[in-house]
Amino acid sequence: MGNGTEEDYNFVFKVVLIGESGVGKTNLLSRFTRNEFSHDSRTTIGVEFSTRTVMLGTAAVKAQIWDTAGLERYRAITSAYYRGAVGALLVFDLTKHHTYAVVERWLKELYDHAEATIVVMLVGNKSDLTQAREVPSDEARMFAENNGLLFLETSALDSTNVELAFETVLKEIFAKVSKQRQNSTRTNAITLGSAQAGQEPGPGEKRACCISL
Amino acid sequence: MRVKRYIRKGVPFEHRARVWMGVSGAQAQMERNPGYYHQLLQGERNNSLEEAIRTDMNRTFPDNVKFRRSADPCLQKTLYNVLLAYGHHNQGVGYCQGMNFIAGYLILITKNEEESFWLLDALVGRILPDYYSPEMLGLKTDQEVLGELVRTKLPAVAALMDGHGVLWTLVVSRWFICLFVDILPVETVLRIWDCLFNEGSKIIFRVALTLIKQHQAFILEATSFADICEKFKEITKGSFVTECHTFMQKIFSEPGSLPMTTITRLRESCRAKLLVQG
Repeated sequence: MGNGTEEDYNFVFKVVLIGESGVGKTNLLSRFTRNEFSHDSRTTIGVEFSTRTVMLGTAAVKAQIWDTAGLERYRAITSAYYRGAVGALLVFDLTKHHTYAVVERWLKELYDHAEATIVVMLVGNKSDLTQAREVPSDEARMFAENNGLLFLETSALDSTNVELAFETVLKEIFAKVSKQRQNSTRTNAITLGSAQAGQEPGPGEKRACCISL
Repeated sequence: MRVKRYIRKGVPFEHRARVWMGVSGAQAQMERNPGYYHQLLQGERNNSLEEAIRTDMNRTFPDNVKFRRSADPCLQKTLYNVLLAYGHHNQGVGYCQGMNFIAGYLILITKNEEESFWLLDALVGRILPDYYSPEMLGLKTDQEVLGELVRTKLPAVAALMDGHGVLWTLVVSRWFICLFVDILPVETVLRIWDCLFNEGSKIIFRVALTLIKQHQAFILEATSFADICEKFKEITKGSFVTECHTFMQKIFSEPGSLPMTTITRLRESCRAKLLVQG
């Protein structure tokens, strides 16, 4: 997976980062899009987003990643952010069990507002803090398997698996889109690659390549 | 009227705490309730409240030396106390992210824990209509009100937002929640707050409308959803917002007439619409 140029891309995939406050969503995003980590990043208010264009085979995919505030009441204003999302990283802090205990609630929130076909990865972040681990890997992996989620443990601090986590989600989305394309060439029902530079459709619009997976 | 004129011209730094305390009613509240603040700190413990506040301690002005964990004296403890006391005082609100940045500014200006608490109460409890409660209905309402004002005063911008499906909450929620802290330069924020404490929440609309109107042509260059979001970040930077004296004059001239009756009417209709949507 390499970096493409910002202007040239065949697909735009909207991916949301969700999970409790303080689990490291913002640092996962900055590690992936800018290769940066900050020990004391600021509380995220409302929503932020960054993009990075990556090559999947011969296709340039622009990942538009939305970072949201984790505090529960912010869901009152963040539900709109799920609209049009084709991927999600549901992040917990593996050194704080209470951030894992509420994963199911986050999943429900996600499925209530996003497309049912959204690709979801459960991410246990802060794997560098081995001494402080409160959530066993097997337990989280089992939960992920039982709920049809991808699973990885990451460290935004030392970069472990961060690239792989985003890459895996993007590839999975891409595979779904490609399959969809094959199935629909005859009926011509779905226009793929419609997101040309300069005419990127808004996530609020029905974008066939992203929504009808 | 004279007070208003003076305050709009900017309160000198050394008098700021006193003026804010006076015009907002915080001073009167504090005098009516001696010892109350300290009682709040002794109140029954609330683990989830404490945990929520603690999570944000290292994430409030991490670039400011006084807020670093290692600072001595460390303002993190002061910040923690003010937020904890407020959570006990206003249990309907508790703690909401964003209040940490506001309380942080209050502490830097007043250099006094108890005064910061009463000023926070003036803002959250009286001046801002229900921004931070769990439903955040007041915040959602005011974002829609801004949308309606833009629709009337700057229809091309409203059309652009509609055309790309950009919700106002995406681009302006931080403006309202943090009252421009970390969005506009410090001195400009303080000048805005001078008026906010004295004249009320209407000032937020004046600032927002001025930012948008001043950069209308620039915003209209946007050709995509992401572009629009990016432009709204750009318009809070540069000499226009740094030169706070001119900026403050502009906020009272650029948006044109903005009577409170209009705001009240729009708040009522937007709120009703939101309640129907659920």
